[in-house]
Amino acid sequence: MAGMTPDERLSMLLSCYLDGELTKDELAEVVDVLEHDVAAIAEFRRLKEARNALRTLPTPRMPMYLLPAGHLGSELSAYLDGELATGELPRISGHLDVCAECRDELADLDRSRTAVRSLPGLEPPDFLALARDAREARTRARWPAVAAAVTGLAAVAIAFTVGIGIGDRGTVAVDVAELEARHGAVVSGTSVTGIRTSSP
Amino acid sequence: MTRSRVRVLAAVAAATTLVASAAPALADEVVDVVERVNASTYAANRLVVSVWGDETQVVRERVEHASGQEMVRTDETWSMKGGGRVVTMSDAPSGIAFMMTPTAIDTGRYEVGETTQVTHMRRDCTLIPILEDGQVRAHMIVDDRTGAPLITYIYDGDGSVFRTVSLSDFSPYRMYEWPDAYEDVPVEIVMHDEAKIVPTEAAGYELVEVFPGPGGSEQGFYSDGLFSFSLFAFKGDASVAGFEDPMAFVTESGIYDIVPTAKDVRVTWADGHRRYVLVGDLPPDHLGDVLAELPQQDSAGMFVRWWRRLFG
Repeated sequence: MAGMTPDERLSMLLSCYLDGELTKDELAEVVDVLEHDVAAIAEFRRLKEARNALRTLPTPRMPMYLLPAGHLGSELSAYLDGELATGELPRISGHLDVCAECRDELADLDRSRTAVRSLPGLEPPDFLALARDAREARTRARWPAVAAAVTGLAAVAIAFTVGIGIGDRGTVAVDVAELEARHGAVVSGTSVTGIRTSSP
Repeated sequence: MTRSRVRVLAAVAAATTLVASAAPALADEVVDVVERVNASTYAANRLVVSVWGDETQVVRERVEHASGQEMVRTDETWSMKGGGRVVTMSDAPSGIAFMMTPTAIDTGRYEVGETTQVTHMRRDCTLIPILEDGQVRAHMIVDDRTGAPLITYIYDGDGSVFRTVSLSDFSPYRMYEWPDAYEDVPVEIVMHDEAKIVPTEAAGYELVEVFPGPGGSEQGFYSDGLFSFSLFAFKGDASVAGFEDPMAFVTESGIYDIVPTAKDVRVTWADGHRRYVLVGDLPPDHLGDVLAELPQQDSAGMFVRWWRRLFG
């Protein structure tokens, strides 16, 4: 900010303040000025109102010859499918903000996809349906035999398990840390005299 | 004032400066020592080091001991023990409490040797040897004022040091670091049960209590007054997690899978009908004697362990 007059410097600082671009020292300086300098407060309000006015202006449609080279094309499809990399999104969104042609193309693409999704399901041709029915009929005919085989195997497995289980066999899963905690608890409650020094 | 305190204070008064010897004590003085240690009040950092074969196990923890209760805090978790109840605070807080019947434990296996007045950490202490069959099984340096065991040495059957427990950053009072939330943790209550599987005695350790264990098992609690273990007997071949990388423990009765920690040892085996898990703080020679008198492992399991030992 060398070479600026004090007023120009203040105006620049306030502008940077609105943009959140001040350093820690500059921020302290601006806060101090805004607390004591009426002229600085007035300048700050003027800058703020000017920015608000700029934001409410209608967005001008940029002439095609001023657009960056090329349109989004196939990237619009990826954009709709949510398949773009996060780093790509700002570029695509920025282009859509200024390019009415791409916005229109995006809207068309979205409408066509919606239309495809709303189409009724297609039935297969008759000759394919006949083949499918025949295949299902064969499967149904085999099912009783398969079911009987599975049932037989299950019966054998159950008999085997029960047979092995006679006696004291069984399977449980425990963690030795739990057993150690139980032992520690019992130890804490024992006394060589049989008299407990504390109660749970 | 308890009888043990009277005895210790009398011993302190009779002591000159650093060294004073007393006549060999009676066996029931072991009871006094153990009870005094249990009733002590202190806060400290505790370091436990145990040696099992070539492996050394170490644990450091913050401990606060008062009124028979003990809070133990490590980097990962903390637990509150006392009166048969343990509450553990971790990702999944849990609590368990055992309803126990008052049972005096026979300490006749041990006796207190000649005590010596010593100074440790600039505190007046008593060095207490605990003898088993005339040989030193443990040395304890007990703080005269609080009864806290500042250092404990446990010896294996061959006289080598098997475990040391030492306190540092010692404060002779409570620090009140016990968290408040532990009172809200739901606690599983376990009632006393009758012994159906576990034996009533094993190598000088008597069966003190029996409880129903997890997975339909039976938990037998054994003690000889100084050391203790629990034997869990499961029906069938239970799957017990925590033995994925065991050590081989060779005894006259066989080779067992063990997992030693700084404070405990865990052993598991099966006898063809049941799976057994032993958890306790007993020294290696006692463990070997105990395993020899408990149900023996089946020959198939024995073969597998021999094979592992021979061929890795």
